Parts: sequence; C-alpha cells; structure tokens
Amino acid sequence: MPDKSGSRHHGFDRRTFMAGAAGSALAPLTARAAAQDARSPVVQDPVLPVDVTLRVNGEDRHLRIDARTTVLDALREHLGLTGSKKGCDHGQCGACTVLIGDRRVVSCLTLALSAEGREITTIEGLASGERLHPMQQAFIDQDAFQCGYCTPGQIMSAVACVKEGHAGSEADIREYMSGNICRCAAYPNIVAAVKQAAPEIMRG
Amino acid sequence: MTTAAPEPKGNMGQPVPRYDAVAKVTGRATYASDTPLANPAYAFLVTSAIAKGRIDGFDLADARRVRGVIEIFTHENAPKLKESKLFSNGGYASTTIQPLKSADIAHDGQIIAVVVADSYEAAREAAYRVKVNYAAAMPAATFDSPGATAAAAKGQNGQFKEDPRVGDFARAFDEAEVKLTAAYETPTQHHNPMELFATSCAWTGDDLVIYEPSQYVHGLKNGVAGQLGIDADKVRVVNPYVGGAFGSKGSMTPRTAIIAGIARRLNRPVKLVPTRDQGFTIATYRAETRHEIQLGASRDGRLLALRHEGMEVSSRPDPYCVGGTKTTTRLYACANVDSLVSIVRADRNTPGFMRSPPEVPYLFALESAMDELAVKLAMDPIELRRINDTANEPIDGKPYTSRSLMACFDAGARAFGWSQRSPAPGSMSDGDWLVGYGCAATCYPTQMAPAAARVRLQRDGRTRVEIAGHEIGNGAYTVIAQAAAERLGVPLEKVTVHIGDSDLPPAPVAGGSNSTASTCSAVMMVCDKVRQRLFRALLPNEGLADRAKETVGIGQTPATQAARSGQPLDRDKAFEALGADVVEDYGEWKPDGAPLDSFHAMHQGQMRMVGGDKMKGAIAYAFGAEFVEVRVNRFTHEIRAPRLVGAFAAGRIMNPRTARSQLMGGLIWGMSSALLESTEIDARTARYVNDNFADYLVPVNADVTDVKVIMLPEQDHRINPAGVKGLGELANVGTNAAVCNALYHATGQRIRKLPARLENIEI
Amino acid sequence: MRSFSYQKATDPGAALRALNAAATDSRPLTEAAAQPLAGGTTLLDLMKLDVMRPASIVNITPLARTWSAVDAGVDGLRLGALAKMSDVAAHPEVQRSYPVVADSLKLAASPQLRNMATLGGNVLQRTRCSYFRDVSYANCNKRNPGSGCAAMDGVNRMHAVLGTSNQCIATYPGDFAQALIALDAMVEITGASGTRSMPFAQLHKAPGNSPQIETSLQPGELISAFTVSGRWPRSLYLKVRDRQSYEFALSSAAVALDVQDGVISDARVALGGVATVPWRAREAEALLKGRRFDDGLAQRVAEAAFADATGRRHNGFKIALGRRVVARALQQAVTMEI
Repeated sequence: MPDKSGSRHHGFDRRTFMAGAAGSALAPLTARAAAQDARSPVVQDPVLPVDVTLRVNGEDRHLRIDARTTVLDALREHLGLTGSKKGCDHGQCGACTVLIGDRRVVSCLTLALSAEGREITTIEGLASGERLHPMQQAFIDQDAFQCGYCTPGQIMSAVACVKEGHAGSEADIREYMSGNICRCAAYPNIVAAVKQAAPEIMRG
Repeated sequence: MTTAAPEPKGNMGQPVPRYDAVAKVTGRATYASDTPLANPAYAFLVTSAIAKGRIDGFDLADARRVRGVIEIFTHENAPKLKESKLFSNGGYASTTIQPLKSADIAHDGQIIAVVVADSYEAAREAAYRVKVNYAAAMPAATFDSPGATAAAAKGQNGQFKEDPRVGDFARAFDEAEVKLTAAYETPTQHHNPMELFATSCAWTGDDLVIYEPSQYVHGLKNGVAGQLGIDADKVRVVNPYVGGAFGSKGSMTPRTAIIAGIARRLNRPVKLVPTRDQGFTIATYRAETRHEIQLGASRDGRLLALRHEGMEVSSRPDPYCVGGTKTTTRLYACANVDSLVSIVRADRNTPGFMRSPPEVPYLFALESAMDELAVKLAMDPIELRRINDTANEPIDGKPYTSRSLMACFDAGARAFGWSQRSPAPGSMSDGDWLVGYGCAATCYPTQMAPAAARVRLQRDGRTRVEIAGHEIGNGAYTVIAQAAAERLGVPLEKVTVHIGDSDLPPAPVAGGSNSTASTCSAVMMVCDKVRQRLFRALLPNEGLADRAKETVGIGQTPATQAARSGQPLDRDKAFEALGADVVEDYGEWKPDGAPLDSFHAMHQGQMRMVGGDKMKGAIAYAFGAEFVEVRVNRFTHEIRAPRLVGAFAAGRIMNPRTARSQLMGGLIWGMSSALLESTEIDARTARYVNDNFADYLVPVNADVTDVKVIMLPEQDHRINPAGVKGLGELANVGTNAAVCNALYHATGQRIRKLPARLENIEI
Repeated sequence: MRSFSYQKATDPGAALRALNAAATDSRPLTEAAAQPLAGGTTLLDLMKLDVMRPASIVNITPLARTWSAVDAGVDGLRLGALAKMSDVAAHPEVQRSYPVVADSLKLAASPQLRNMATLGGNVLQRTRCSYFRDVSYANCNKRNPGSGCAAMDGVNRMHAVLGTSNQCIATYPGDFAQALIALDAMVEITGASGTRSMPFAQLHKAPGNSPQIETSLQPGELISAFTVSGRWPRSLYLKVRDRQSYEFALSSAAVALDVQDGVISDARVALGGVATVPWRAREAEALLKGRRFDDGLAQRVAEAAFADATGRRHNGFKIALGRRVVARALQQAVTMEI
C-alpha cells in the first residue's frame, strides 16, 4: 500500500492518476503506485488500474481496480462480498446501502477511491460470528422480507435509522426507511422489525 | 403468535419462520449475479434508440479503442441462434423477436449489440461509444396510434380459445330496468423486481451452466438448449434465490441464449447485469388495456345482463393477451353474458404475464362497474355482490369447488369497520383530508401442473427433498420443508430442501400461483411412497401399505395421518426391518385432468397447467374481499391509502406467516397499481420514458401505514392433494377497483383510468 | 462512464487550481473538463448515464474540514457548502429559526442520499428531465445546444410551467434552493481570484436561448457557503408529490412570513417542482405585504404566483396544483406556532 505520509504536494493527495483501465481483482499491490513519483501531480497513463485499500468490516482489503469502480462493484466483483445488492445503480432503490463510518450511504454512487481510509460496514460484517445482530433477528421474527434481495440494504439502513434516533415512532421509521424500496412490499413487517430491534440496539 | 406469525386456524399449517431466513438476513443467499465465476468477461448491452426501422450500420472504432474490450457482437457477427416459439404457443420464449439476428428493429430498447470486456467499467464505456446509424420508420406506440391494428384474440392466440357468452345479452340489457355502460383503462406496467435481469454463462467443454433468476429453470434450460442447438442435458440453470420476479422471469428472454453463445465463442465465462432501464425493454411487461362494461340489472340488484369487451396491446409478431373475460364473465350469477377480447398490435416489445395477469385489468373494470351499479341502485356494494353471489359459474353452469366470497366480505367488513361508512360521497372527512371507504371482490384461479420430486429419508430423521421449485419470495423452501416434515413425521429442522436447479426433478413455472399446490402435492406424494416402503418393511402382511397410500390427501396433520393408518410409523423399527439406513424415492405427480403427455412435456420444460375454469365438471378459484380507506387532501388533492384490509380464503394455508406476507404485499401491490404505477410511453417514438426507479413509482415505506390480512380457513378436497389454492396473485387484484371505489366515496368522482393521480381529482 | 483522471484536493487552493487548469471560457460549467466531486450523487449518476463526461475529477471532500460549518447566530445563518444535507436538516438551531431550510432538506431524496450530498452539490443538482438523462435522445438543447427539445411535445408531466423557453422546459428538481431563494440568501463563491458573494437568486439561469448554461458559476469556481440574514421562524416548506417520500416535487412552496400584530410585514414565496430554476414569486409577495391574512388573499396571491405560467400537454395541472400549494403553504405559515 502506498505510504500516505509526507506524500502531499501542493495540496493534493499523492495519488493522482488517470482512470479508465480495467483492473484485475485482488491483485497484490505492487510497484506502480509506490514507484510513482509522489511529488509529481502529473496525471498518469489512463490504461493503468489503480491501487486502492478499502477497510471493509474491520479488515484492510487491497485492490487493483479500474478507478471508475464504485464501492458496490468493488465489494461485489472484486472482494467477493455480494451481500450488498445492485438494484438500480443510481441511488434510487437503496439495495446497495452500506455504512461508511457510522453513516448509511448508497454504495452505488460512491467511488471506491473516495472511500479509501473510511470504515465500510456491509451486511457480512453485522453479525458477531454466528450470533445474529438484533436487527437481523428482528427481520426474521417479523418476516420482514420475501424475496430477500433488498434485505441487506434494508437491514443496514435500519441499523443506521435506529442509531440516528429516527426509530422513535412508527411514522418516523416509515419516513426514515423510505430510502429502501422493497418490491415485495414487506414494509409493515420492516417497521415492526425496526421497532423490535431498536431498544436492544440503543442499549448497545 | 405475533402479527407476523398468525395463529393457524382450522387446517392451516404452522407459521414457522422462513427456511431461508438466516441466509437472507446475512447476505449469504446467493442470487444469480452473486455467483463467483473464474475470470469472467463482462457484457454490457447496447439497445436500440428507435422502435421501428433498420440498422444501416455501426461505427465501432471508438468503442473498440476502449482498453479492455474483448469483442463487440452485433447482428453481423453474433453467434447464430435457432428460433424459439412463444411461451404461450408451445415454446419457451417471452418474445419471438430475436435480436442480433438481422438489422431489423422491432421495438424500442431492442438489444442491438453486446460489448464484452475485461471489466464492467470498460464494457459500459465502450457500449456508450458504439455509434449506430438507423434508418428509422414511424412506429405505432399504442392504442389509437396510426398503424396500430386490432383484431379479435380468438383465432390468433392459441390459449384464448373462446369469448365466453351465454343467453341473450342484447335483449336482456335492452329490457333491464337499471343499466350501466362504462369504459375503463389500465396503463402499461413493469414488474420491476428488485433483482436485475442478470445472466451469467459458463461453459465446461460442451456443458453450460446458466446463473439467472428464473421462475422456470426447466423451461429456460430446454429453451436455451433449443436456441443453441444442443442437447438439453448439456444445460443446467442454477438459481437458488430469485430476487423478485412477479412474472418477469417466467419465460425465456432473448438475452440468455445470446450470452451463452458469446461465452461459448469466447471460451470464457460471461457475466451480464443489465441496467434497470434496459430491463424495461429486454423482458416483458403488463400491457395497457381498455374495457367497456355493460351491466343490466333489476331494481332489486339482480344482474340480468353483463358484457365485457377488452382490448390489449401486443407486439407486431406476437399475439399475446391475458383475456380476463374468462374470469369476469363467471364471477357473478347472470343469465345473459357476452364478451369480446381484441388484440391491438403496435411496435412494442412483446408483453407478458405480470402478477395476476388477466385479473388485474379485467377485474378493475368489472369491480369498478359493480360499484357504479351499486350507486345507481342506491345499494350497499357488498349487498349487490351478495345478491349476485353464485355457487355455479354462469357460462357452463359448473360448480365452484369452494367459494367463500361472501364469508370474506363479511370478515373483511367487520375488521375494516365498514358499518362506520356513511354512504354519501364526500360525507366523511378528517381535518384536511376527505375520507373514502371502498371495497371490491378479488379472485384468482386455482392452478396446478405436473411436478416431480425426490425425497431421501435417513434413519435419524434427516430428510433431503429435491425439486426444481423456485424461491421468489413465495416461501417455496419453507412450505416444501413443511410439507415433507409433516408427511414424514420428522422435525422440520431435519429437512433440507434443494430447489432452483434444473438438475433437480422438474417442477412447473413459479407462476399462475400454482407453485405451492404443485410442488407440495408432488413432495407429499413422494413422501408417501417413502412411508409406504417403510410400512411395507415393518408390517409386510398387513394392509397398512395400502392405508398409507390412502392418506394421500388433504392437508393432513401427522396426528390425523397416524389415526388413519392405525398407528404412527415407528421409524427406527421400520428402518431396522428394511435393513437399510436410507430410503430414497422419486415420483412424478400430475393433477386430475392433466393431459396424457403431461410427464413427457414436464421433462421438456413445458407444463400442462390445469385448473381454474378449465377443470372438468367444476371450476376452482380462490376468493377474497378487499377494503381500502383513501384520503384525499382537500387543499393539495394528494391521494393516500393509509388503510388496507383483505380477507381471503384460498384452501389450505401451508404457512400463515409466509402467506400473510404474500397477501400483505399483494394488497400493497394493488394500491400501488391503482395510485402510482404507470410506464409512460412517448407516443411519437414508441419509447418508454420513465424507465427507472425514480420515475416509475412504486410505494416506499412511508406510503404504507396499516395493512390487515385475514385468512379464512377453507377446506377444498377437489383441487389437489395439498388442498392448496395458491395466493401469490390473489391480493393485488381487487385492490385496484377498491381504491377507485373509495376515491368515489371520498370525492364523488369516478376514476376509470389508472393510475388515479391528483390531477384527476377535481373537488 | 468515461475515463477520468482523479485528484483529491486537500485544500481549497489546490482544488481551484485543478479545476481552473481544465477550465475554458467556451464551455458551460457542466461541460467543463474538470468537475468537482463532493457527495457524488449527481455527478456519478450522470456519468454512469454518459450525460456528463469529465476528463478529470477533483475530489473536494477534504475541504469539508473548513467548508462544512453551520453557524446559526442571532443575526443570521451561515452554511458551509460542504455540509451534508442530513446534518443541516438535523441542526436544532436551523430547525428552530429556519424551519423552511430544515424542512426543504429533510423532505428531499432519501436518508442515504442526504448523508452523502452536500449543500453546494444539492443546489447545483441537475434536472430530472427524462430526455436530458437519456443520451439516446439526440434532441436535447441542454445536452446538445440547437438540437431541439424532445420534452416539449413528449411526456412532460414532470416538466416546468414557469421560466420556460421554447428551448427547454426542464424542471429544476431541488428543494433546498427554494428555501435559500425565499430567504434572500447570498451565495459565497470561491475562485482563483478570491471569494465573491452574490444573491443566491442570481446563481441559476433560466434556459432562455441557452439552456446549456444553468448557473452563473464559472469553471474553476466553487460554492463555499450560503448566508441568510435575520431569523425566519415563521417559515415552512410544503412539498406535494405522488408518493409520500423519496420523490421529487410535483409542486412545492417555500414560504416565510413576518407577521406583526396580525399584519404581514414581510413575505417570501418561492416555488419548486414547477419552474426551470429556483423560483421566487415576487409579485405574489407584494400582494401580501402590509395586509392581514385571509383565505381570499391567499387565493389572490396564488393566482399572482402563476400568472405567467404556461402548461404543455401533460403538465398543465401543475398550474392549478401550484396555486393550491401556495395558498395552503401560506395558510399553514400564518397559523404555525412559533
């Protein structure tokens, strides 16, 4: 991984390059980025992939990918974390919701590059081993899904909804869970699940 | 018991949590595009920007220059594919329009090129860099468009055999004391399942594996094999989970064989994840419809004359239609009935089935008209239905195997508080909101098709069930596991279920709400074969073997089975007597009335669905009554539907938890259909305009406040061994009319064209 | 999405240099070779659709360290342009003293998008016109000047009835901008030559004969802050749409009133969902000032607000709807507890 210390030049992050090349998954980080003269803001050859380190579910994951890769595609196509789903790829459905830091975001409109250095939490990182997170258990108890495709996004969104303090009333839950479309329309059960899990999550 | 897991009543099964629940809440459930492939190439579709005409030529130079591009396939170099007949015409295909075959363009968004690259990002960029020169012709978009042609459905659609009629409609209508003639319209709608229409194809030698969300793996396997010209045994379709379907994944779309052919050509796995907007044109949709209903009644509300004329849009080459008059002409007692269904051909992709294909548009018309008639008669709309309730359908006089329509109305009315309704339009309000109550009947045919299953029981109770069913959110895993556990008397947690794989024994399409009835009937039959072998081993000289067979029947609990067979099976002793630790059996089940070639067809991925109005000597439908409270803001005219109540009777409910969820989702679907959903078509270009989730509106969480589902116990011994009618498509039918009937009650304004939007409200 | 060079600017100077380096006078800002990336909810969306094709992306997120503060003091409000919509919507003092600002943010998009999108990016978000967003339509004067307008006689239910021209009827889709324009906000713009301030009302440009030019912002400039003077506790944002949430407005109104002893001493009315730019209904405001409120006045104001509106085939209803929304918003503002 490129060394981030002391590599800034004229106010730029050192990693300035041209995007556009296809990347290969899970390639070990090698010379290119490291060998780049970090002090030069010269844009790089557009054919080259970029080296990115994403911190996902508490682990650093090194990638060499096309710079255009979104967090969603990085997770799904390059890290084998397919729990986050692509439903629209334009921020219109919420199926790709993950936490970056403590905030829920749509990973389809987040470049992997701009998520570098941030803590990404996906559905795969929610349970503690085989013990389900209270929200996961609540979704089971309340039958808060049918086909299950939107479910990882719903659950990530629901966890954030509670932590934001937006689970105080059913009306609040409905409004603050409206960024996640469920075509099977399990909505009333999703509200019930958020209500069920909220006290336990708030207790920590 | 909780709201999510209602107490089972009567013959219902237990509301156990979903078999696949943990997989789905942990992200471990593997949908088609989640399947890892070794060194995949990524495909991106280029789709047509015109609806009619020809491709004069491509300029691919710019696209080819994108680094990582492997190949660009157009009609000039795409792998050649064989044609496939339409699904509803004895084939497998959703459309006979085969892209990449010639320079011809038959509809907007037709696949005209496939870019394959080393990365998704490169494929997408190159696809946008493909330049196309079109020779465009003027397309016909829809009804009334110049160039659209209409003709009767009968004679052109193999599945639409007859326009139902009986008696003398013209005279009866003429003589009726009270008459209603009204026209209704429903819009184009797209299923928009959350999961995109992904396809991955990987070859190993001559063997192909397809990862694709499918409601019919055996159909897809045979269809793709046919198009590729290879033996069907060489093709395997795998999809353990389908991210929603609603009909859109029931028949083979052209993309699958195209991707398979490209993967073979490149000798590399190819992964396609089309965009949401491409899904609007590379798969099917619910076509727009028009209706004219004529009702004649006596002053006391008896229907004397009923005529339903329907018109539906289809593509140029394919005579697709849903033809819902088979249901609407049979729902109520009426001696004089006439009907006609026509198909209007336009330059569009071929429509297909979408959740309750015939019933949604046709019952919207009829159940709206019934409400209008009730108003003319100054009669409560529930009473009008009660007066015209019937035990026999009026066209052929066949009895309904069971019909709990009025019991549903009564239960629903109680739960909804219908008695609180003041009948005069505009007479109820709450602050800024005008309040309206409306109701409508709902129904859906009970359908079944042949299915096969393999069941293996081990001495320790571990049970493995194999059947190529489909988990589309319907709870297939769960109810199949329950059926086996119940039938074999083993604990549910000992049962593993394997579905969603065409290497498994064939099951029919997960469509037409036949899935639970068909798969559970087959699984139960094979479980009984297993039990029979154990009985025979244990008591070779007694008649129990036959008695075990006898118990193939109607939603038996283990307790009743044991009683009938004299004693419960002592599994351990039986295995001891058998001298084995495992019993495995395979069986093929077909419903009564299924044609002779049923099993042969089943293995060809073609199903012979029976039931509904096509039964011999009877007619089988599930029924329900749906109630909606709408609110119309007196200032802004915003329309909301905060309260939905449905009461349903659908034979045996295998699992009240999954059933309730499906019915609840159906109620919301109906509300959505009535108030939000409409695919807008640019009339000049015959192109879909709002082809995304921001503009094609479906409800969000905040649109849904209070939904109540009531399931009435119902025993029906005539339909199938499982006693199951199916309910996946029952709840989203009546809601359409119920919403508009409620809007009339709130505002005095009759909405006859869906969706009902605020600009249609004048108060 | 086309290839781009990616740079992460860690201070404003660097960001401006990078943007400036790629700037040419001849191209509209939205076509500039270098585009700033903040929340990404507009830029990446449009890049995936091939509508925007910047050669260079300058990630300005690190500038949030200095450009995201929210200061709500006694004499006014200052909002850093890189503040997230969700943070500003949840800010207690914004909610108390500028409810129209908090509401307009809270009612926009979804919780996820509000967590991502910045205020500066939000006011610059681009139209949702389907024909603009689909590059397979050649005729879009905004994307391709002089090519015509497919929406004019196409599916135009969502399109504008105010501020239109014969070149473009695309609706300005945002909500927050209506709050800003209603409150006479100033926008602070930072460029290579320093920081300038101008009325927010001058930021957006109606399509006229050049719908490709959407704002008066110049390539190489960034919005750094918004300021509002005074406090506006009697203000609200009313947003009407087909579904309850997660949808752009069919019609909305940002209303702020100052009522002294029953007499309206100051009134602000701005309209959303119905116009090509954030729309201030000044004629309507004039009718309110110095008057006592009643429903008749509300009707006259609403009429005045849409006096110049022109509907097309599918969006004519927005004129009547917009009037109802204005009248209702005023009624609510007059009676709100503050």
